[in-house]
Amino acid sequence: MANELDVRYYKPKEEFKFDITDMENFVYDMSRCIKCKGCTWVEHTYMPGAKFMTRCPSATKYEFDAYGAYGKMRIGHAMAEGKLDWNEKALEVIYACTLCGACDVGCKRNLDLEIELSLESLRVKAVQDGVGPMPAHKKVAEKIKSSHNCFGSSHEKRTDWLPEGITPSQKADVLYFAGCTASYINKEIAQSTVRIFKAAGTDFMLMPDEWCCGNILFSVGLYDDAKALAERNVEEMRKTGAKTLITSCAEGYRMWKVDYPKLLNISTAELGFEVLHLVEYVDEMVKSGALELKNPVNTRMTYHDACSLTRLSEPWTPYEGKRGWMGCVEPRLQRRRGQNGVYAQPRDILNAVPGVNLVEMPRMKENAFCCGAGRGTKEAFPDFAAWAAQHRLEEVKEIGAETLVSTCPWCKNNFASAVKADGDDVQVLDISEVICASIEG
Amino acid sequence: MAISKEIYSVMEAVVGSENISDDPVICESYRSGPGGYENGLGYERVMTTIPGCVIMPKNTEEVQKIVKVCYRNDIPYVPYSTGFYGPRSHPHVEDALLIDLKRMNDFVLDEKHFYVEVGPGMVYSPIQEECMNHGAYVVIGGGGAQASAIANLIGDGWSPLSHRIGLPHRRILGTEMVMPDGEIVRMGSLATSEDPFWGEGPGPDLRGLLRGYTGLRGCLGIVTRMAIKTLPFQPERLEPTGISPNTALALPEKRIKWINFTVPSKEAQVTAMREIGHAEIGGAVTKVPLFWRAIAKAECKEEFWDLWGKETEESIANFFIVRVLLIGFTSEEQMEYDEKVLMDIMEPLGGIARRTKPSDESWIKNADSAGMWLMCGGYVSVDYVIETLTQSVEHGPSYAEVKKKYTPPLMPDYGDPGWFQSFEMGHQGYSEFLVYWDPDDNTDGVDQFYLDTSKMNIRNRTYTSLLGPHQPLYLTGPKYGPNYHEFLLKVKDEFDPKWMSHPPVPLAHDVFVERAPWMQSMKDWESPEDLPE
Repeated sequence: MANELDVRYYKPKEEFKFDITDMENFVYDMSRCIKCKGCTWVEHTYMPGAKFMTRCPSATKYEFDAYGAYGKMRIGHAMAEGKLDWNEKALEVIYACTLCGACDVGCKRNLDLEIELSLESLRVKAVQDGVGPMPAHKKVAEKIKSSHNCFGSSHEKRTDWLPEGITPSQKADVLYFAGCTASYINKEIAQSTVRIFKAAGTDFMLMPDEWCCGNILFSVGLYDDAKALAERNVEEMRKTGAKTLITSCAEGYRMWKVDYPKLLNISTAELGFEVLHLVEYVDEMVKSGALELKNPVNTRMTYHDACSLTRLSEPWTPYEGKRGWMGCVEPRLQRRRGQNGVYAQPRDILNAVPGVNLVEMPRMKENAFCCGAGRGTKEAFPDFAAWAAQHRLEEVKEIGAETLVSTCPWCKNNFASAVKADGDDVQVLDISEVICASIEG
Repeated sequence: MAISKEIYSVMEAVVGSENISDDPVICESYRSGPGGYENGLGYERVMTTIPGCVIMPKNTEEVQKIVKVCYRNDIPYVPYSTGFYGPRSHPHVEDALLIDLKRMNDFVLDEKHFYVEVGPGMVYSPIQEECMNHGAYVVIGGGGAQASAIANLIGDGWSPLSHRIGLPHRRILGTEMVMPDGEIVRMGSLATSEDPFWGEGPGPDLRGLLRGYTGLRGCLGIVTRMAIKTLPFQPERLEPTGISPNTALALPEKRIKWINFTVPSKEAQVTAMREIGHAEIGGAVTKVPLFWRAIAKAECKEEFWDLWGKETEESIANFFIVRVLLIGFTSEEQMEYDEKVLMDIMEPLGGIARRTKPSDESWIKNADSAGMWLMCGGYVSVDYVIETLTQSVEHGPSYAEVKKKYTPPLMPDYGDPGWFQSFEMGHQGYSEFLVYWDPDDNTDGVDQFYLDTSKMNIRNRTYTSLLGPHQPLYLTGPKYGPNYHEFLLKVKDEFDPKWMSHPPVPLAHDVFVERAPWMQSMKDWESPEDLPE
């Protein structure tokens, strides 16, 4: 480039890092929000029309600016400047949010501000300041502490989901991390997953003693508790010698691939093992011919992008640097914009299943509207979670789909509850069930 | 005066408890700054504050009731649609009521008569999508795809597509407005019927109330409903492609295409635009600031500065581009014909068609104003000029000259003359000058530059729209005409004698100059001593 002094004015550089335990690291991002609401609107190129215009559940439901990322950035900024203190409303605003990442990818369309990290740091601050998390979250934390799962179920029964005729190996290259929900609530997902492994001839193992991934702890700002779990789980995983960890839960996938490295201040690559979601593994198996999707599943189907598999799933790399004139940073930052999320693989799989007529919803991929269940929302704000699922189901009905498929037990549960409550005629499935049906018949 | 519990409960009865709040956390989220259009500048710091209460009506009747309560109880209020337009659309006085209109997002499309009817909460991109699905299109104003269509049309409302579609005031049809005292005024054909198809109605054309010159930021009332003229488009779908941030509309090339030409001189640039207009071809003809090209190429702000740092005053002064959007409105054959005509125009001018992507990223559906903040963090469009093509092209360089004095804090731009394009088939030319800065720097110079450009325009006798609502009225008013400012203030007094609707607009910039010490040395005009507190 030309002589830097000709172009750039001198300005002292400020140090910062991607450390959510100190909100000061994100005050710059909060201060640069321009209220374009790119965080809330469906990206305008994909704007589907006068219906389904937004992708932020919180802003759509509660409507005051406070509930959009643009409001939360202003609230966070005012707190950082000492102009505003916590109250009941502040806690509601910060926690009645699915942390689904729609705002983050929306902002990075134009401004490259670190919205998701800012929101995470606000929740950590709430805990540090002694006001967070919400009472319902504290109960979950207690359950995780006492029984290693977020439901308070018996730890001894964690592997009761294993179907007859399938026995995991003691040692294998592939380790299946089922997670709490598929272990206790949606056992059909874990069962379908291991049947797929069997059909593909993949030898797999389970963790000798699987504990909760800590998604809720991390998501609500209980940083130290989440970090302790991350340290324990990563250590246990490394001890097994497995090369690949596969999840069938999008939230668990994000924890292992993104948030454990974030908590441990290492890169995803430094974990020492690969983290895959089931759909990445199956897609590879189908394309290599190791798995055949042969039996028809005759239905008009639509696919819901789980947030943690898509816009939130890009690998993590720690960052420490300096910010100078015009906000330019050095060293150069490879920004996580959600572009490399897992979008194509599930669609390729479903399109390969005979009989499936896959139709897209108006809001899809990085513009998808979150189901509303994840990241502590359903526990503390069940009505909001139910509303979000019902809102998304309106889209399913709009396109006349008979079957709704996702890649996360949280999504499946929340949608299934909404369907039941409303008496809708929509079948809700996890993609593992669809795959299993096509390989087993 | 703070809103009392009694008045709060009256308003709560109008909209429901879930749609009103005076919680400090809710109110803080309606702060204008710190980022965004004009935010961080002196005007925002000196003139704006958070509201004392926020209310979200759903329909005109609720707006009317709210305004009547305010008027009766001396509660200042500010209408607010999307909040994108920086400090000018936020409260300027303590304890104001902010009337957030986002829930009023009704949308009706009349396919047969080519118009849409919208509420103030409806933004542009859904309107354009619905229009294109029904064989029509509108201009997405430079305010961006995320801007409220009503607010944008009141203020500005133009883009490169205005080459064919024309200026915004021609597209405002029947309009409904709640006046400061709560009475409703219906303009155009809505004055006599429920058909909003006509902009002009019986009696005087009241659309001047909306615009004041180019909009008065809510100080003359609240527009609750507006019909917007649409025009016929070509029938093929513009398919969205890519994953954010790299998204675009794939263009059906036999019906729509951009062609970028380089030409040898500014004279050739102007002649090309005029000739294209005379030939009545094209959907857009424009030349954007050259740093926008660097923004489009860069993957991040750091790369932008790497690219931009390679430019020089010479490279900028000798690069002339004409972007032309061809649209086959009626057929592929028409498109082929238009392209041949275009080439016949460009060839003798030395125009060279460069390779152009068969996609649209920024004008047809996603007018991308939000991207303007990436490289610096601070941005405003200082001024717009609508003149003849030959006169408006002189406007940018005169700005660039003044700008040198204020660089830094303004971004180094090597004399880039800004944005320049054809309006209304070349009958008018448009020039827009944009400035950028680092919000962490001392921005007094940006405030001063703003005012200096106003004085420059007065000296040059240049038509400027921002001269109105963004500058001291007592500086600019006498220059529009001997009593423009007095007339405007009489209109304000007539419709809002208590000055409850967005005070102290339209005198807000006058007040700012009085209050900001770094502005006072620039004050060389007369103004009354009794400006609003």
